Amino acid sequence: MTTTNLDPSSIPLPTRRRPRIGETGLRALTAATALLLVAIMALLVYETARQAWPSIQEFGLGFITSDQWNVVTGQFGALNFIIGTLLTSVVALVIAVPMAIAIGLFLSELAPRVLRTPVGLMVELLAAIPSVVLGLWGILVMGPFLAEHVEPWLSDHLGFIPLFSGYPSSQGVLPACVVLSIMVVPIVASISRELFLSVPGELKQGAMALGATRWEMVRSVMLPYVSGGLVASTMLGFGRAVGEAIAVTQVIGGANAISRSLFPPGDTMASRIAAQYAGTATSLQRSSLAYLAVLLLIISLITNIAAQLISGRLQRRLGGEA
Amino acid sequence: MEMNGMQRVTKTAAVAMGLAIVALAAACGSSGSSGSSSGSGGSTSTVLTGAGSTLVAPLISQWEPDYAKSAGITITYGAVGSGGGIDAITNRTVDFGASDAPLSSDQATACKSCLQIPWALAATVVTYNVKGVPDKLKLTGPVLAAIFSGSITSWNDSQIASLNPGVNLPSTHITPIYRSDGSGDSFVFTSYLSAVSSDWKSKIGASTQPAFPTGQGAEKNSGVAAAVQATDGAIGYVAVSYIAADSLNEALLQNAAGNYPEPTTKGITAAADAVTTIQPDGSVPLVNPPASAADAYPMSTYSYAIIPQTSPKAKQLKAFLTYAIGPTGQAFGPPLGFPPLPSAIVAHSKTVIAKITT
Repeated sequence: MTTTNLDPSSIPLPTRRRPRIGETGLRALTAATALLLVAIMALLVYETARQAWPSIQEFGLGFITSDQWNVVTGQFGALNFIIGTLLTSVVALVIAVPMAIAIGLFLSELAPRVLRTPVGLMVELLAAIPSVVLGLWGILVMGPFLAEHVEPWLSDHLGFIPLFSGYPSSQGVLPACVVLSIMVVPIVASISRELFLSVPGELKQGAMALGATRWEMVRSVMLPYVSGGLVASTMLGFGRAVGEAIAVTQVIGGANAISRSLFPPGDTMASRIAAQYAGTATSLQRSSLAYLAVLLLIISLITNIAAQLISGRLQRRLGGEA
Repeated sequence: MEMNGMQRVTKTAAVAMGLAIVALAAACGSSGSSGSSSGSGGSTSTVLTGAGSTLVAPLISQWEPDYAKSAGITITYGAVGSGGGIDAITNRTVDFGASDAPLSSDQATACKSCLQIPWALAATVVTYNVKGVPDKLKLTGPVLAAIFSGSITSWNDSQIASLNPGVNLPSTHITPIYRSDGSGDSFVFTSYLSAVSSDWKSKIGASTQPAFPTGQGAEKNSGVAAAVQATDGAIGYVAVSYIAADSLNEALLQNAAGNYPEPTTKGITAAADAVTTIQPDGSVPLVNPPASAADAYPMSTYSYAIIPQTSPKAKQLKAFLTYAIGPTGQAFGPPLGFPPLPSAIVAHSKTVIAKITT
């Protein structure tokens, strides 16, 4: 072993002087903080799983494929809420990501200098709005607006698609998607702005020198250069949307079933936990809510790992090409 | 053997880490125990905390200032919903809970010898909001069950129209609105539907959180009231006191005698007078009273105080409960839609209150 090299007698004097205590202390403190966080995380997972255990024993993996959530019969399943969670998050991304990338591009490339700072600040402020306030706005303004103007138009013109059929409703899946998209925009927009700013000037100038228009330069140079980061930021946005509870509870309508249409009420996993955890009628219901939390943790974990893998792969591929 | 630098650092880190975890555990432990002691014991004996039913909340808010003045005891009540109240008293984080639904057997076991004391008489009322349709639309139990199970979907359905000759009903889509949190009103509502519709009883049943097959959820009485007001074509159910407070429409429900009584003092008292049997668990279910009570409102209910049989604040609790069911406490009721308790129930509640010990 190499420990002999570190024998105190062989270490020169300066490093043995006073800074040593401070250094040891700093290292201990930071290590303790980091390990404490790991411990809290582990305890959190353990406790959630422990609470969920009676439900896990009762329903097993069938919990994931059952669409029942019935306190009276004691049948609980997550299928409707898993679908609701994925549906709202994906639709929110479909609305938010193109907008956010456009904002990022505008702020980094196209906006006049006087606009960049104020608009960028406003976009970041959007992320600072408490979700409960967004939810309230969803109840009072956006939900009724969607029900009176947007949903009737959608069902008139696109009603042949099941997603846009049925009766308009001020509380429902679509308002939840819109509220979530507003939460996702600032995350993706500010990251994509930074990404676009990170594109080396030589690459852009090179493309321009070859006679590319601005749009061609963006499409063929900038977008490929930042694609890995964009995917990662989208995944971050997805993680935000999946986990949001309060604002979704306020506008989604908390239905037990999920329909093929975006108009009627539905529910997501996080929203169901938030709405029902206080005041459960049976211990099995409480335990099933914890089971939902476990599934939510797993989905978040998968999302994060996928984001890292995808962005890593794109980065590598890009590196290979360059 | 002399330790080298790296090992020393790791060892110090391990010790610090251990200390941090011990500190955290101690913090958690102490916060947990102090939470429970401040709830049920504590240094101040002049505060009683409670949580639960939103139905009874308007009445308790009248008791609070009056009782503080007359007895010098402060009542703090959180209207978190009946289910939340049962949770709170089960965990003993409050001194009393309040629920419009009696404890289920599961909840009774978890609550460990809790007493249920009827302390207010009220009703759950069906409310609706349809443009152009006047107040006091008539409905029967089976029609209501059909609406909430999704088989009647528009307001001009013949089953609604035949009950309301002369009323011009639009073809507006019906949006049923229900409580998303654990609610005594949901229990009363679905108990009634289970009593009048065998189809409802077998498919959905009665619960504080039933699985409504259609419609949208809203939180607490205030949430349902707001959602009904905001949605054209909505129908929901709220506690009677919220009807007057928010000037909502009320639907008249047909009782077993075939009449359409209003949820007024007269209608609710008639139901309470008709049903005096006290169940073994201490509850007195009032929904769908027999046809002999011609004026009885069919969705009447008692609201219960849920009290642990042994409480460190037994003395104060007994005094407060005696006040609440007594003439002073009940006198606040009628203007808010709570008729006074029948004397038989007052007598019953008194015997239950006497069981509370320290």
